[in-house]
Amino acid sequence: MKITICIGSSCHLKGSRQIVEELQRLVAENDLKDQVELAGKFCMGNCQNGVCVTLDEENFSLKPEDTKSFFENEVLKRLK
Amino acid sequence: MNDLWTETGYISLNKTGESLCGDRVEMHGGGDEDLILVLADGLGSGVKANILATLTSKILCTMISGGIPLEECVSTIASTLPVCSVRQVAYSTFTVLHITDNKTAHIIQFDNPATIVLRDGELYDYPKTTSQISGKTIWQSSFPIQKNDVLIAMSDGAEFAGVGMTMNFGWTRDSIADYAVANYLPENSAKSTCGIISDECNRLYGGNPGDDTTIAAVRIRSRHTVNLVVGPPANKEDDTRMMNLFFSKEGTSIVCGGTTSNVVSRYLKKPIVASLDYSDPEVPPISAIEGVDLVTEGVITLSKVLAYAEDFLDAAKLAPNWAVQKDGASLIARELFENATDINFFVGRAINPAHQNPNLPITFAIKQQLIQNLTDCLKRMGKHIRVSYF
Repeated sequence: MKITICIGSSCHLKGSRQIVEELQRLVAENDLKDQVELAGKFCMGNCQNGVCVTLDEENFSLKPEDTKSFFENEVLKRLK
Repeated sequence: MNDLWTETGYISLNKTGESLCGDRVEMHGGGDEDLILVLADGLGSGVKANILATLTSKILCTMISGGIPLEECVSTIASTLPVCSVRQVAYSTFTVLHITDNKTAHIIQFDNPATIVLRDGELYDYPKTTSQISGKTIWQSSFPIQKNDVLIAMSDGAEFAGVGMTMNFGWTRDSIADYAVANYLPENSAKSTCGIISDECNRLYGGNPGDDTTIAAVRIRSRHTVNLVVGPPANKEDDTRMMNLFFSKEGTSIVCGGTTSNVVSRYLKKPIVASLDYSDPEVPPISAIEGVDLVTEGVITLSKVLAYAEDFLDAAKLAPNWAVQKDGASLIARELFENATDINFFVGRAINPAHQNPNLPITFAIKQQLIQNLTDCLKRMGKHIRVSYF
């Protein structure tokens, strides 16, 4: 599974670093380093909303505080 | 005209407790033009020394660059300087480093520690002649310059670093020369050469310099061009034209901005490989595209570069963060401030819809202003700048 987080200017200002760090922490905590790959990407062209995150081609728009529920509801569910 | 370029830098440490420095460095020209650098050390310290040094350096710099014979310059100083009421003399020592036609170095010295010349990292013993001008013994030297020559002038505060504290007789000019040789690297900029020596002086003084200490360096290097593209062109049809021009230039290539990177990636038909490595939490991570030397985010990174540039121009700052950090802004700073002599900016005027959100502090006007301020700083560093808009 690959999660791509936008690290462009406006997503950076909207908190992409916090999301990246939170996801890195959650992936390590759940021992999923072999199954989940985190990657950065420049502007995905959907800047008007939250931070652009794609999970296996599907687009999401996250706020830093949504990261945990995104991880639990989307990432963990798909792995099961 | 040859490919050589004269780069200058200096650092002054004030005597402990003094807010004014009694040493003064005045410069004119540089780059691919003739350079005159004058380091003057006024008698005493504080305001009086500062005035003597300022007058001396300014008069010498202006008169020598006007082509006036040295005898006249020195006698002008002798009759202009105010006489010290305590010591009944008008006195300021000086060193003049004069590079002409990118070919010859002329060194004129009066009572400062002898200028150190490094040639390919080794001490170079240049010829000296002495003459008496207005009762002063002046040393004069002329020799042809080569790439990688470094000329280091200093005030006597450097020689006396550590007297009676860490050493009996201070550091002496010869041990400073050995230290400069031991720490020589071909890529050291003029300013970092000054930093290496002045840091050691400061250490020997135990952090409290007992005298004003100034190190000034001239480095003879070859020219190096850096090309930086930021922002996609206003009209999409101009993408290819902008890229053709950008990639046809010789030198290092830097691409700033997410959308801009996408344009480059399409043009080169190579993917963008983004990293998630936040070595500075304030600066977005860098990426890589095969065929480009450095790929970074745009406005946030460049704002940081501008802040570093303003710090760099403030002569008092010693070891900057950007000299060692690995984030995008530090990498750009090193490339622009230290490696580049000529910089071409390719600025796209496209309006990014993402930046039109009123909650985000980026507007197109800010981007323009950013480039303007950055190029102003780089010009003050003596770089040749060209900006093209698309």
